[in-house]
Amino acid sequence: MALIRIEGDRLVVVIEGLSKLWAFKGGMSIPLANVRGATADPGIAAEPKGIRAPGAHVPGVIIAGTFHQDGEKVFWDVKDATKAVVIELADEQYARLVLQVSDPRATVALVENALV
Amino acid sequence: MRAAVRLFGERAYDGVSVDDLVHHLGVHRNSLYKTFGSKRGLYLIALRRHLVDDVNPLCDALADAADVTDALRLVASADLALLLLAAVERAPVDEEVASEVTAALAAIDQAIAGALGVPDDLAAALTAAALGILLRGGPDNAATALTRYVGLLS
Repeated sequence: MALIRIEGDRLVVVIEGLSKLWAFKGGMSIPLANVRGATADPGIAAEPKGIRAPGAHVPGVIIAGTFHQDGEKVFWDVKDATKAVVIELADEQYARLVLQVSDPRATVALVENALV
Repeated sequence: MRAAVRLFGERAYDGVSVDDLVHHLGVHRNSLYKTFGSKRGLYLIALRRHLVDDVNPLCDALADAADVTDALRLVASADLALLLLAAVERAPVDEEVASEVTAALAAIDQAIAGALGVPDDLAAALTAAALGILLRGGPDNAATALTRYVGLLS
């Protein structure tokens, strides 16, 4: 589960609970200028994710950590796919973040409104 | 992009999932995100495409409208599904959508005002009535009745 908030001109992502261990990351802070958008996407968990390193992928249970696919790095922290939100980035270490949040609709609105 | 216009025009923004977009547009999910940034990013481009492909030609046709009946018929028979859904669903919660919708409706008003030589407020009222006729499935006598009363007023 991830907590997402806006602090000034930055998007702050905090990874909570056990997935913090799997994902090897406590959180990140990204300039809003490098955030291209946010989308609720429950279907993304069913897609091929590429090669994981480092992190944990127990199929059907938890997807957490860094995945490499088509030359892109994607950060995952999803246990319940119905609550997955995709945050697309530019000029960052990760091409996109796929995060489980408690309220996908509210998170998408929060991020998209911060970009306007 | 026409497929996205059709999809959003038929099912509305909330009714279209990223799975639907991947399936109907025939693009990979990763390239969809890379190209458009988000579902909203894709929606905005689809909406602008709809305005260019469907609303601009309507305005061009309206510029040659001979009378009120003609103008009402042109608007009421146009494909404005995405514009109408955007006005109801997204404009209240999305400033960029709201400004696109406002500009598109203003362009229709202007085209009617120019063609019929009527004041802007009457042109806006005719646009509103024509969109209402379109929403109600074009009841036959609505345009006729409206034409008659506008004729009496002018």
